[in-house]
Amino acid sequence: MNSDPKQFVDDIWEQSSDAELPAASSRLKSQLYSRMIETQELTGPLVQLGESKAHGRKLCVFEQIMAAAPVKSVQEYQYCKICHARVLGEQVENAPVFWPNCPYAEFQK
Amino acid sequence: MQILSENTKATPGIYTDLDLAREVLSRDRKATAEFIGRYADPVAKYLRSRVMPRVDLVDDLAQEVFLAAWKSLGNYRGDSTLKSWLLGIAKHKVEDHYRRRLRESLVELPDDDDILDPGVNQELRLLGEMQHRWTWEILSELPENYGLVLRWRYWEQRNASEMAELTGRSEKAVERLLYRAREQFRQKWLDRDGARSAKAKETA
Repeated sequence: MNSDPKQFVDDIWEQSSDAELPAASSRLKSQLYSRMIETQELTGPLVQLGESKAHGRKLCVFEQIMAAAPVKSVQEYQYCKICHARVLGEQVENAPVFWPNCPYAEFQK
Repeated sequence: MQILSENTKATPGIYTDLDLAREVLSRDRKATAEFIGRYADPVAKYLRSRVMPRVDLVDDLAQEVFLAAWKSLGNYRGDSTLKSWLLGIAKHKVEDHYRRRLRESLVELPDDDDILDPGVNQELRLLGEMQHRWTWEILSELPENYGLVLRWRYWEQRNASEMAELTGRSEKAVERLLYRAREQFRQKWLDRDGARSAKAKETA
């Protein structure tokens, strides 16, 4: 063992890694998503739901209904804002949200 | 901000890092969800490792990282993976945090050279798992500025001169802080090792 503090700590650090740390909580992911969408909306409308779908993205059951609407503003609206899944996802870890293709449900996995 | 044009859209269902970046930039909510889903874990792990024991800071820093990423995503050219690119932003945020905290704590450092002679030399067996755990535990026990300066030095590979420049303090002051941090880290390690050896003797 080295009595020089610098060499001692250098040696310890060289052999330590930070791989085994907890992942992001589902609450954090939910909050990040909500915040990022809010910020995106400040710069312009979101991509229409029908466009996202055509692009290979899967929509949740509510979005699928809205994606059929022929009105642009209806398709651009972020329905998560008024959905209980968002509230639960942001507030509760491992929230009971099970809607297929709902981002807040996906973050629980 | 650069917006995805029709002829640069990704093939449906197949998203490379660059495709994903372009789709997020075009304000596609589903791509944004995938972006968060893919990269929140590595970013949060990185942040946690750098600010422990202040894990309460992780959420705020993660928000700062992703919002900064959104603002500069137009500059992403796919030269590195999105994960590396995001971790680069996270590194800047962590360094901002270190700089702020150390700038405050260095002001309180006495300007003398009362450095203790370590004079301790015990045999130490470094066992992989135990060493890893001890490192984390000791980092959490150290005063905040000691933990910060060690992480900054070793994980972010900043030398005393760079840290001095970034914090606006003298190199000597940073070196003193580093010395004390290392000495305290070492002392805590030796205390643990002593306790472990004594326990082993008792059970033998």
